[in-house]
Amino acid sequence: MIWLAWRQFRWQALTAAVATVLAAAWLLYLGGDIRDAHSAALSSCRTRPGCPQAMADFQARYRETMLYIAAGLGLGLALLGTFWGGPLVARELEAGTHRLVWNQSVTRRHWLATRLLLTVLAAAVVAAIVSALVTWAASPVDKSGGNRFGTILFGSRDIAPIGYAVFAVTLGTVIGLLVRRTLPAIAITLAAFIAIQFLVPNLVRPHLMPAKTATMPMTTEAVNHARNLGSVTGGPVIGGITLPDEPDAWISATSPLLTSDDRPLSTARFNHCLSSPPKTGTRGTFGDTAACLGKLNLHLKITYQPATRYWTFQLLETAFYLLLSALLATFALWRIRRHLN
Amino acid sequence: MPHDHSRPPVLQAEGLTKRYGRRRRPALDGVDLTIPPDRVIGLVGPNGAGKSTLLHLACGLTEPTSGSLRVLGSRPAADAAHLSRVGFMAQDAPVYRSFTVAEHLRLGARLNPGWDMAFAERRVREAGLDPSQKAGGLSGGQRAQLALTIAAAKRPDLLIFDEPAAALDPLARQGFLQNLLRFVADLNAAAVLSSHLLADVERVCDHIIVLSDARVQVAGDVKDLLATHRRLPTPHVPEDAELITGSIARFTTPPPATAEAVTLEELVLAYMTRADKATAHAYQEAAR
Repeated sequence: MIWLAWRQFRWQALTAAVATVLAAAWLLYLGGDIRDAHSAALSSCRTRPGCPQAMADFQARYRETMLYIAAGLGLGLALLGTFWGGPLVARELEAGTHRLVWNQSVTRRHWLATRLLLTVLAAAVVAAIVSALVTWAASPVDKSGGNRFGTILFGSRDIAPIGYAVFAVTLGTVIGLLVRRTLPAIAITLAAFIAIQFLVPNLVRPHLMPAKTATMPMTTEAVNHARNLGSVTGGPVIGGITLPDEPDAWISATSPLLTSDDRPLSTARFNHCLSSPPKTGTRGTFGDTAACLGKLNLHLKITYQPATRYWTFQLLETAFYLLLSALLATFALWRIRRHLN
Repeated sequence: MPHDHSRPPVLQAEGLTKRYGRRRRPALDGVDLTIPPDRVIGLVGPNGAGKSTLLHLACGLTEPTSGSLRVLGSRPAADAAHLSRVGFMAQDAPVYRSFTVAEHLRLGARLNPGWDMAFAERRVREAGLDPSQKAGGLSGGQRAQLALTIAAAKRPDLLIFDEPAAALDPLARQGFLQNLLRFVADLNAAAVLSSHLLADVERVCDHIIVLSDARVQVAGDVKDLLATHRRLPTPHVPEDAELITGSIARFTTPPPATAEAVTLEELVLAYMTRADKATAHAYQEAAR
């Protein structure tokens, strides 16, 4: 059975091997590039007083790359699920070859278990290799303040991608088993996996452990440390906050700007500070606006997970996806025996 | 062939019903059937009569909606051991297009503990198949030969063929069916084969089942059926006979010498016609 599973998988395995080698080569190059930039930033720290600026520039230079890598890795894993998992059963049903293979002296469960296990293991290995390289390449950025615990980057580091890969393949297999046609299976798997990858960080991950809360006074300096002010809906919100005493914590929710009586700052007063603040000559990202807001005695309520929980979250999230995969696989093994009409 | 009553029936169905979807008419409707071992059984009936459904149920590819079915004494496809006792050649002889002929034999060897590689290789040679050829490039007849080889080389006790000769031209058909018979004899296996062509079945089977309109219309050994069915000389139906259609009747006692013998084809057609009329009648009733 292992022979057959491998025989039917070898081209997909070869394609993935080539893609992995290309990705690895690029990540090795990127890792070197990041290390060069990092040591340049560090050396400027030693010689000149502009250290914070040099480090901020270093961070800014790779911020987008890190996001692209996270997105690319997520998409790559989605493709594993769609092109490895989706056709695993569906193609047999479509070509009618299930009528050949299911009548050999191997039960359907054994057949599915072997094929699924081989594919899942291969996906896990690919994900582990790429994730290890990403983690290595990004480590100077992560260590010097890039937020690896952040909503988007978290899933492209360490062991979480292994959980995603296993889940993607299992999900694709189950969808293929249910819809029985390869192309719809591929399309549905792609959509479903991407949807889940968006939902879990927002709906599940914040609750894997009870979050901590903190109140953060929004002084002029604190406002200037934020990345963005306001939103398209015009609310008094502030984004890109880092906690001063826990800079690497994952902030899962931020309240709007609150006045001293815990009420949201009125939009009129917020807009006043935003569009026509009194001229004070304050410097920083938001300048006079920051000074205007700083005078209002505002604060934020922040829900966060401390940075020390990073590895707990990696384990919990991976376990969550592995558990989902186990449930899906159990369902598939039950379904393939019972209901194929 | 000698009958061995200590062995379980090849196939035993009780009230076997299969419905695809809740609203549709059943593909099989309360089929009761017992097939004794050591026979070559022909399953005949028009297209859509439920032949494939019955065979798919027999090899466990689908599950009955209600009723029970036992194959060689146990639930179809119950476990690996039972799977190894039943060989199935599906309609259109599905094979892996990207696998070579040799890889198909390897698949058989890897997946069946009782695989007879010498037999399989000899069969492939006799059928004139090139072992290094990809199965996607085989003709319909060659594919059927390959599928037949895979089904037989696991040395099952029961071989099931779903329209095995459908893809073949008349000449290839004859040779193929003869081949198939030889296998069955060599393996000392029972065989069930379905066909919508009575001629195929007549040539190779010693037991037939006429399936029409989701029900078994008649089943029995060919020689018994021929011995009990006669064409009535007059419209009068004797007490020990049941009229099927036209002038063909089944006798429960030895028929009189005056009654004319019928061919298997006439007999089968009589039952199919009766089933057809019953359906038409039922539709008219429903329409009222």
